[in-house]
Amino acid sequence: MKRFFAIIESPFTRAFLVGMIVLSFQTTLFNTLRPFSVVMQILLLCSAASGVAAGSESGAIAGFMFGFMYDMVLTSPFGLSALVFGFAGYMAGGVNTFAYSPRWWFKMLSVGISSAAAVLIYPAASLVVGVDGLLQTRVLGVALTVGLFNAVLALPAVALMRWALVKSKKQMLWAE
Amino acid sequence: MYSFTRRRLIVVLLLTSVLLLTLDRSESGLVGGVKDAFGVVFRPVERFANVVSRPLSNVWRGVLDYSDMRKENLALKDLLVKQEGAAIAATASVREAQELLALNGLPTLAGIDSVTAQVVGQSPSNFTQTFELNRGKSSGIRVGMTVTNGAGLVGKITGVTLERSVVMLATDPEYAMSVKVGACTRANTTTTSPPQTTTTLATDGSSTADTMVPGDGSTAPVTTVAPTTTTTTSTTSTTTTVLQRATTTTIKGFTPFATTLPPIPGGGGATQITVPESGVLLPRETGAMEGQGIDRLPVIRFIQSSSRLGELCAGVPVVTAGGSQSLAPADLVVGTVSRVVTRTGTSGPLLEVELAANLGSLNFVRVLLYQPATEIPQ
Repeated sequence: MKRFFAIIESPFTRAFLVGMIVLSFQTTLFNTLRPFSVVMQILLLCSAASGVAAGSESGAIAGFMFGFMYDMVLTSPFGLSALVFGFAGYMAGGVNTFAYSPRWWFKMLSVGISSAAAVLIYPAASLVVGVDGLLQTRVLGVALTVGLFNAVLALPAVALMRWALVKSKKQMLWAE
Repeated sequence: MYSFTRRRLIVVLLLTSVLLLTLDRSESGLVGGVKDAFGVVFRPVERFANVVSRPLSNVWRGVLDYSDMRKENLALKDLLVKQEGAAIAATASVREAQELLALNGLPTLAGIDSVTAQVVGQSPSNFTQTFELNRGKSSGIRVGMTVTNGAGLVGKITGVTLERSVVMLATDPEYAMSVKVGACTRANTTTTSPPQTTTTLATDGSSTADTMVPGDGSTAPVTTVAPTTTTTTSTTSTTTTVLQRATTTTIKGFTPFATTLPPIPGGGGATQITVPESGVLLPRETGAMEGQGIDRLPVIRFIQSSSRLGELCAGVPVVTAGGSQSLAPADLVVGTVSRVVTRTGTSGPLLEVELAANLGSLNFVRVLLYQPATEIPQ
């Protein structure tokens, strides 16, 4: 029983549940809202926010998990989003460590830059696995828009992912 | 400094991704099974999110799209009025063509069963161009089947679950299809045309003979090569006219020969039928149409400029080529050529295609239950 509760309380179980809900809004609400004809990538936002909230390693794992879930609903090569989102989580965590005590704007910057980088890497990675035609100049506009949007929503996303991935002291005592 | 754990983690994630990509590219059934299982769990969550977020989506659409939608609505009303007459004529022509094909034992689109499905979602990605339909395996839909709407080709089925299917649009970079394209019918080509003889036998026994030119018969200038020999074999009823080949400098389009047959016994007037001659039909060349991604028109490659095909120009229709290895049955409307890009060397021209179907506003589509040979599992 204790083991069961430990699994339920596991950060990655929580992240998975958060991911399911976020994915459902990605495929519905955010699929409709397309500023400048660009689909907002909130799963990518959560991946980058995970890195900022819980560090590079946790960001990479959470990003990989979110990307894997995203791959389930896409027809693009399976595993590509997992790879790119994992990279985004890892990069966001890495950028955030440049500041000793990162201020709110630095977190926004970390999330925005890593999101834009992930959008740029995606078509390049797809080219490597044999999917031609995605690497176009339009990608720059998409990366800029997604980066800006994710930077704006970075702070609530970081708070959400901190809740999901970082155990509080109270919870750790209870688990023991 | 990278710790061992950190390095190991990165390596594990990278290897897992590579493994997943390999499984996917090798078309392993495992990936499809996992996606199906995830879909079963995820679908109720998505439905709930859809209900919750619909008011917000509607507000967004209402605020941003209202004025555009009004303008579009007025434009569509005008267009509808113009198209009504043309549609009736087109329907009659299509029916005639289908009857002719059926009479000759040739396959037609009318002989292929289809399923109507509604678009219930689209890809949340900025890179892939797919739509989700509310019909799946239970309706007979399989991977590879062609999707059309009232206007023309839309795409093909790339994924199917029991109640859902995914359509890859014709503009997706991964989409390719063999198509046929004809030469343009501009009036600046010099062509030698066979003669056209119209013979009318009226009920009173007298007959007349006349020469016509293919195309716009009323306006096209004609140069008829003399002489014309007329032999009268009977004083009352028969006149045989023998003409040499007529050479024309201007031909507009193709108008089949008009031949008036002898009157039906008991009938009051003459019966007219059209008999096309194979030498007059415009030749068509086969090429490969490939999607180019969002906001870009598909292009046709591997078309060769040849004297047989004639000049390529914008506006000519593009239809599917068909054939045993093709993804779609023959003569399905794809669109029209919007631009011809001339390339040097042996690469041949590149044709941009304006699709007949408006892929930006799909609602109901038709899935042709025609599975190409290449997509049937061995």
